[in-house]
Amino acid sequence: MKSVLLIAINFVREQRWPILVLLLWVLLLAFLGLATDAARQREDLLFIFKQVAVYVVAFSVFFGSSAIYNDRRSRRILSVLSKAVGRQQYLSGLVIGITLACAIYCFALGITGSWTLGEAGFQISEVWFLMLCLIAACALAGTVALMFSTFLNPFFAAGATAAVMGIPALLSYTSGSAHLAYIVPVYALAATVLNSSFNSHEPMTWVPIALAVAETLVFWLLSARIFSYVDIAVSVE
Amino acid sequence: MPCVLEFQQVTKEYRSLLGRRQVRALDTFDLQVEAGEIFGFLGPNGAGKTTAIHLAMGFMRPSQGLGRLLGKPFGDKRARGRVGFLPENVALYPRRAEPLVRFYGALNGLNGAELRKRAHDALERVGLLEDSSRNISRFSRGMLQRVGLAQAIVNDPELLILDEPTSALDPVARVGVRELLLQARQAGKTIFLSSHLLSEVELVCDRVAVLHRGKLVRMGRTSQLLETTERMEIVARGVTVKSFSGATAQDGVVRFAVPAAQQRAALEQVWNLGGEVVSVNPERRSLEEIFLEVTAPSGAASAAGAV
Repeated sequence: MKSVLLIAINFVREQRWPILVLLLWVLLLAFLGLATDAARQREDLLFIFKQVAVYVVAFSVFFGSSAIYNDRRSRRILSVLSKAVGRQQYLSGLVIGITLACAIYCFALGITGSWTLGEAGFQISEVWFLMLCLIAACALAGTVALMFSTFLNPFFAAGATAAVMGIPALLSYTSGSAHLAYIVPVYALAATVLNSSFNSHEPMTWVPIALAVAETLVFWLLSARIFSYVDIAVSVE
Repeated sequence: MPCVLEFQQVTKEYRSLLGRRQVRALDTFDLQVEAGEIFGFLGPNGAGKTTAIHLAMGFMRPSQGLGRLLGKPFGDKRARGRVGFLPENVALYPRRAEPLVRFYGALNGLNGAELRKRAHDALERVGLLEDSSRNISRFSRGMLQRVGLAQAIVNDPELLILDEPTSALDPVARVGVRELLLQARQAGKTIFLSSHLLSEVELVCDRVAVLHRGKLVRMGRTSQLLETTERMEIVARGVTVKSFSGATAQDGVVRFAVPAAQQRAALEQVWNLGGEVVSVNPERRSLEEIFLEVTAPSGAASAAGAV
């Protein structure tokens, strides 16, 4: 477990500059939100908050699809996997690292969202539940991207991830059945955030979060299985 | 002697994406490395040395055959925890040298005061203690190679697998690494050394193997390989250089080599000329000569039987 955490922290450390830029972006938007007449432009504030919030899912796909590729291209993966670290542990470290990186973003968003939306008169009790939805969505999306990146280059891995996440959403939209969106519940979780009106009477359902956690485990096992057959020392160019 | 590294009929083929092109990097490769020796692994570029090392470390799977590292099948992470590995192109995460070595030590299960002490000692042994608080992204290639070596020895491994460990080092650092290897052998460690620096291999290795086009073409004890029973070197005094073809003279001593079958005739010729035989020894060749012989374009086929 220790080596998994070391790899996770190392991943976050390696991604510190993109994470820092994202945090600065969140802070900048929060200050802009506080600087405006929050009470009068509350709907705009809510719209921007929700948009900025769901972007994190795209960041998780970006992190997931490029993590292994970057380590293989730089050949740093050899120095990690030459130690007493199994490939499954390496992947676990990356999954936790990706989730951690997204959780940092969500945490910053939760804090700044609480300030700005609170100032605008919204019920902010729901903010942290929504952040949890996003973290679960990121864990799942990042793991799916990671799985595809074990055998595809980042561009195709990101495309394949988008397809896996998007097809259930499309089926749900065309058939009108909300349950279909729960097949891979990234869209369902993002929709929870996008459709939230910050009304304290809205019901909070934990089903998509639980499903996302379970599917993250399934995709992680699948990626570990595929990755165990990959020749990691072969050039990825 | 127990085997610490063993390849049994290992074949590795690389295939293109659609499987149309196929390159056989290793071909029914057999090798045993015994505990406590420094084993030199030689071969020209593209011979399959790095492929063999990567198979042993579990970075890839053999197409056929199997192998064992410290008694465990290739790829076993517990075995890797007892191995120190330095890749050919050192690639490490850019951070300060000491935390970096500690990071790699921690991946091998070390922690606390022991980890700090081991990291400190490893950096000291490779001569980087003064630079341990500098970020390695500002290091020269030679310094990077030394940090790579530090992360390989931080866990006090039983087996060191080193792929070109001195290729970027200056002569002084090279001597330092050579001493480190000899000390490690004295401490009972095994070293598997892949290198193009034949003079260095000749100096430190107990046994060497030469790989060519994925096949093992020569293997043996270094001292035995360097001596040949086919030609004898005769050193004589009191004769002239002109009396023997290919002879050289220095300080009144004439030195020449003859095929072993003609040794007796040559000695009699020295005596007939009124000379004195100083010594008769099997001719000693350099590792470079052997390497060039077995890796010559037609060498692979002819030398294969000599393994």
